[in-house]
Amino acid sequence: MTTTPTGTPAERKALAKGLLKLNENMLTLAELSELAIRKAADALARLDAAIADEVFTLDQEIYALQLEIEKTCGDLIALHAPVASDLRTITTSLKMTTDLDRIGRYAKDIAEITLQFPPEAENWYGRLPGLPKMVDRTIEMVDVVTEAFVRRTADSVRDMAGVDDAVDTLFEETLAAVTKFMAEGFLSADLGVRYILVARYLERIADHAVNIGERVVYMVTGERLPRVRAAERSEGGPLG
Amino acid sequence: MALEAGSVSGPDLEEEPGSADIRGTASPKLETQRLSAWFGEKQALDSISLGIPPNAVTAIIGPSGCGKSTYLRCLNRMHELVDGARVEGQVLLDGEDVYREDPMRIRRRIGMVFQRANPFPTMTIHANVAAGLRFAGIRDPDVVDRAVVRSLKRSALWDEVREDVWRSGTSLSGGQQQRLCIARALAVEPEVLLMDEPASALDPIATAKIEDLIFELKKEMTIVIVTHNMQQAARVADFTAFLYLGKLIEFDRTRDLFEKPQETLTENYITGRFG
Repeated sequence: MTTTPTGTPAERKALAKGLLKLNENMLTLAELSELAIRKAADALARLDAAIADEVFTLDQEIYALQLEIEKTCGDLIALHAPVASDLRTITTSLKMTTDLDRIGRYAKDIAEITLQFPPEAENWYGRLPGLPKMVDRTIEMVDVVTEAFVRRTADSVRDMAGVDDAVDTLFEETLAAVTKFMAEGFLSADLGVRYILVARYLERIADHAVNIGERVVYMVTGERLPRVRAAERSEGGPLG
Repeated sequence: MALEAGSVSGPDLEEEPGSADIRGTASPKLETQRLSAWFGEKQALDSISLGIPPNAVTAIIGPSGCGKSTYLRCLNRMHELVDGARVEGQVLLDGEDVYREDPMRIRRRIGMVFQRANPFPTMTIHANVAAGLRFAGIRDPDVVDRAVVRSLKRSALWDEVREDVWRSGTSLSGGQQQRLCIARALAVEPEVLLMDEPASALDPIATAKIEDLIFELKKEMTIVIVTHNMQQAARVADFTAFLYLGKLIEFDRTRDLFEKPQETLTENYITGRFG
């Protein structure tokens, strides 16, 4: 039997099959996480408890899939001693699952806040333009990094930190708007704080998308991107 | 570091124990410059330029027939012992061309251990280790005895054979015989040890002992090991060179070569996607 450095052809085939399964599960996990953000934002925009409840179910599925991916990665490492791009794919997947799980958890947190709104609460979502923009931007960021992971491309995610700066700016704008409405007595402190928390969670989701982008660059090129402070980054990026 | 035409001098070696930057102030212990080798008409090595860092383990990997054993045998002038074999280019030991030196002297400075343990079958353990010394003209029994004990200790065999070093070398297990051959090579105090798949015929426990030994020996000498076993290269080598069809494709720190090889050929080989 002919052997390769990583074992027999059959063993190589088993590794390739395992990596394919890993890739499929990672894509599903990213899609579930993104769906959780969409549902959480939709529930908040409509103050719809039924949609918010769906996010809890998604969070459970995300957690279960994360565990399955961890097991797959452990098996692939233990059984096949992967190296080079195979190894980078597995270690990147392991790191990404944590980020995607956190994204799902933040979506769940937003859903939880939605469920805490009093029945008679006024819906301010439409009057805080920064919030829907943050939702769109964060979903777009998760989309971009997922696409880059699936296509094994690094260029589109090299400047996710720059894109994140735009989300940070939207967060500051939302914070300023909410505190202004609160100070002027239009928005109760009870509701205002909830909207600030939602904005904060969206801002954190964007941070996790940045992490994923950095991981994808490493997976594709082996390069570890340095952390650069926002003040040192030039403005703009792939999402404008 | 990726291969550039005609020369691979080595990676940056900052903070690498026992191996300062070989392109900077510290020189490689052993260096080949445009080394080519032939068996008759058949070319086995094609212009390999490689600096082997001192006090470190350098692994040579590559598919069967890539020239890795030939490369090893060129380093201590064993290749020229084959009928019709010839060599071009230079092999430098501490900057001196080994092909301008007495080959026997070079082989004392650059020892070698082979794939199959090959103790002299009619000799005792003691005589096997002492053989190299005797060939070198050292016959004082006290000197020889001290060297034998020291070599057996350095090869981590002493504790297993100290009760009876006068029994036959072939009475030892396969792993012990290989360590006996290492002791024999060490007896003449080589500066470089070449190892041609030294553990390929051994079980995992005997292999682990050889690998532990390599780890200890590199503190005192430079080691070049040819191995088919990727995991072994990853475990024991500080640097790894990948050869393919007689050419040096890539040379880098082992961890970099196995984590992010620069050449597609290397990637395909180490991940098993070859051919």
